[in-house]
Amino acid sequence: MLPFFQWLESLKFGAGSEYTVASINVTHLLCLVVFIGAVLVVDLRLLGTGMRRQPLSDVVRSAQPWMFGGFAGMFVTGSLQVVATPMKAYFSDQFWLKMQLLVVAIILTLVVRSIAARRAEAPVWLKPAGLVSILLWSFIAVQGRLIGLLQ
Amino acid sequence: MIRSWFEWIDAMPSSIAIRESVFGYPYLLTAHAVSMALFAGLIVMMDLRLLGWAYKRTPLSQVQKQLFPWQMFTMAVSSVTGAILFYGQPLRYYGKVFFWTKMALMLFAGINALYFHFTTYRTVAAWDTTDQPPTGAKLAGALSIVLWAGVVIFGRITAYNWMTFTE
Repeated sequence: MLPFFQWLESLKFGAGSEYTVASINVTHLLCLVVFIGAVLVVDLRLLGTGMRRQPLSDVVRSAQPWMFGGFAGMFVTGSLQVVATPMKAYFSDQFWLKMQLLVVAIILTLVVRSIAARRAEAPVWLKPAGLVSILLWSFIAVQGRLIGLLQ
Repeated sequence: MIRSWFEWIDAMPSSIAIRESVFGYPYLLTAHAVSMALFAGLIVMMDLRLLGWAYKRTPLSQVQKQLFPWQMFTMAVSSVTGAILFYGQPLRYYGKVFFWTKMALMLFAGINALYFHFTTYRTVAAWDTTDQPPTGAKLAGALSIVLWAGVVIFGRITAYNWMTFTE
């Protein structure tokens, strides 16, 4: 993987401009707010709290475009951050942990949402997925923030 | 006056202890940022309902009441961690324009929420189930999104040393 990151480094995208990197990071954060909000309302609903009087499928479908929109924004800005500071990402344990957990979280979220979108009420066995999802996505956000703080 | 008060906090042994702890800053800041994202996310979801852009089949008052406890919980975590961060480095934040801008935006966001609650929201029974709330409600939702986005933006860039003054 190192040669790829070194090649990214050679592109010098946003090099020398702290403002470019900061703007990308701030946009990443704003997309996170929309994404995590849309994830939370469904996860809380799975746990029987939050918008609990609405059919589960309604909450899932209504949150969906905001979840995907927020994620798309995070994917673009997140990728740009890696392109702008590839070596920082490559040598960060937090970055790699975040990427691995992301794969797990994305699969979990897609599976849970596709089941939930077809049901008015969460089956008992699906409820814990709400808590796992909240903890998983929060932990990913924690790792993301730590990339910039722990070297 | 404010400066001397900040200096007084700065000299406290407990403030120095936070400032000098190796992991205090990164982990506190991370807890603050992540709880803030969760809080703002739940606020934005409610604002989207106010704007008539999401959760349209759910009465507005239900979205508001059911998300409220979680908004308060995440805000509490964010406020406590934020207060400890400030307590550890009061003089650092004193000279930061972005920090004060963030405080002002939070104040405006609070005023916006209270103003809406005591004006437009009083007649909620009349438009609770409509997917397009009255203009006053939409305005409150839009303002809330803009103001909280501002809080997130200025909170993040407070970490940089731009627009920072030291005496």
